[in-house]
Amino acid sequence: MDFTNLLITALRSLSKNKARSILTSIGIIIGVSSVIVMIGIGRSAQITVEERVGTYGKNAMEIASFHTLLTEADAENIKKKFPQVQYASIIITKSNVQVNYKDRSTISGMYGVENDYFKMKLWPLTSGRYFTDIEMSTHEKVVVIGATVMRDVFIYEEPVGNIVIINNVPFKVIGVLSELGESFGGKDFDNVVVIPYGAAQRKIIGNNKIDRIYVSVYSDKQMDETVEQIKEYLNRAHMITSDSNEFRITTSKQKLEMAEYISKTLSMLLAGIASISLFVGGVGIMNIMLVSVSERTREIGIRMAIGAKRRDILSQFLIESVTLSGLGGIVGIILGLVIYYLITYIVDWPYIFSVTSILVSFLFACAVGIFFGYYPAKKAADLKPIEALRYE
Amino acid sequence: MNIPIINIENLQKIYKISQEVSVHALKGVTLKVKRGEFVAIMGASGSGKSTFMNILGFLDTPTSGKYILDGIDGTSLNDNQKAEIRNRKIGFVFQGFNLLSRTPAIENVEMPLFYRGGFTHEEMKNRARKLLAMVGLSGREMHHPNELSGGEQQRVAIARALINDPAILLADEPTGNLDTKNTYEIMNVFTTLNKEYNITIIMVTHEPDVAAYADRKVVFKDGMIIDDSPIRKLKKSRK
Ligand SMILES: Nc1ncnc2c1ncn2[C@@H]1O[C@H](COP(=O)(O)OP(=O)(O)O)[C@@H](O)[C@H]1O
Ligand SMILES: [Mg+2]
Repeated sequence: MDFTNLLITALRSLSKNKARSILTSIGIIIGVSSVIVMIGIGRSAQITVEERVGTYGKNAMEIASFHTLLTEADAENIKKKFPQVQYASIIITKSNVQVNYKDRSTISGMYGVENDYFKMKLWPLTSGRYFTDIEMSTHEKVVVIGATVMRDVFIYEEPVGNIVIINNVPFKVIGVLSELGESFGGKDFDNVVVIPYGAAQRKIIGNNKIDRIYVSVYSDKQMDETVEQIKEYLNRAHMITSDSNEFRITTSKQKLEMAEYISKTLSMLLAGIASISLFVGGVGIMNIMLVSVSERTREIGIRMAIGAKRRDILSQFLIESVTLSGLGGIVGIILGLVIYYLITYIVDWPYIFSVTSILVSFLFACAVGIFFGYYPAKKAADLKPIEALRYE
Repeated sequence: MNIPIINIENLQKIYKISQEVSVHALKGVTLKVKRGEFVAIMGASGSGKSTFMNILGFLDTPTSGKYILDGIDGTSLNDNQKAEIRNRKIGFVFQGFNLLSRTPAIENVEMPLFYRGGFTHEEMKNRARKLLAMVGLSGREMHHPNELSGGEQQRVAIARALINDPAILLADEPTGNLDTKNTYEIMNVFTTLNKEYNITIIMVTHEPDVAAYADRKVVFKDGMIIDDSPIRKLKKSRK
């Protein structure tokens, strides 16, 4: 008896007891969806961390102001007053700008920065140069482009010295950044145009506000203390009470720890749920298969009488239990993906569609079906033809 | 061909019920059946007819004795080989039909081909359809057993028994659950199979009317054969 016939036989007999089949699969459904959510959350957290570190650099912190009170003077003073500060840069971002060169165009992320930004991120050039002091102070329309932008609009041409149009404003390309690559989440670090922050404010955004300042210190031991000192300094400089939350300083380490904590806790909880419900689901399958075997003793006898071998009966019942757990697995995977999506949506983490995790959990569900279905199937296959036929 | 299709010598079957109690159901049965014969096995209830048939059909194993079916020594086979012989060499028709319920007639009929393997879906369907036509059930392929009369169900069972061109057709009281009209229909099918298709048939019955369709009568009593004689065809009447 070949595999398709076995599968057809299994599906037929399962569909004769639809309600029972569905109820039996619930354990597997919950187990598998937990596995999917667990793996997903783990990955998302990992990528979130990676992206944070990628955006800030090491030993870095991000200063943001609730009412956008930050000034150029703040950035300069932080550099001057705190010897432990290695780099500091004003950051002005716009997530989607149109970049045109000749008839080609692309959508990129714009960063208005100071030269320290490149150093903080240890981001070298492949050609050209960074900004000069004069270009910074005169808000010159010059741009350093990422590797993706170069590939997309210049293709084989040399970008340095040419003019690109960023949101209808012409900028002269002075440098090309080396490739950082993509994050697991699919975020392309190289799809950027980097310009002097002053030019970003005046030519692209249209106001003089400063979103954020990135600061990095020499050693990670100085982080906590520096965060406190900068906060204190900014509150004083802006004459704000010290208990106010006007200035928020987030360190990459904090983000990292938080993401790790959440993902670990969730993973442990879900691993617990997953293993318990997969076990319960497996026992449920074993139970229903045992019932099925004794209900169908006569059928087994008939099948043996017309030529079914031991292994035909064994595989018939095994395939039935695997089909049961496999279908439960598929439903569980869909449910898990939905729940995982909702979680990433709520906590604003990247949603990572992983074929591996889907395959792994599907195979796991099938393995549960084989493991818990083997005993009932063996019981069926070990029946003696004449005894099974006589069974009332 | 002179070699008998069935050659049984001194077959014994003892059912051990407990340490002390055992039933000696067959006490040394010897029987030869030639290809193309139609044998009726008769005898009182409990005389060992079903036990004998089950051993003939490789559903049960004898305690001792020799059984050669179509040149194959039945005493030295393992479970898989027996299953294969049940599939290929034997067609079994039971008193209680033993069809799979909630399964259409055609699927019941083609099932032995599943276990034999090597057929396409189409081939199986075609063969099953042909056999259903042969037993007079064309057009009833998709009927489930509970939508068919007893006689029709038994005919489905016969079609199933024949689908692998077996060497012998074994029937244990095939008309035991049927009324006169259906009995008559089934016996006509058997006669046709035997006379036109030269299929060897061994049939248990305790009705002399039914036995009259066979060529030879073997009578069991207390696990032994007490009579083995040809049946002279007296009536050729048709209803
Ligand atoms: N599985 C069994 N276990 C014990 N005794 C059995 C079993 N099957 C049949 N017998 C006994 O063997 C004898 C022959 O039975 P059986 O072959 O069914 O007779 P028949 O078919 O001629 O009525 C009877 O005494 C019956 O009780
Ligand atoms: Mg009997």
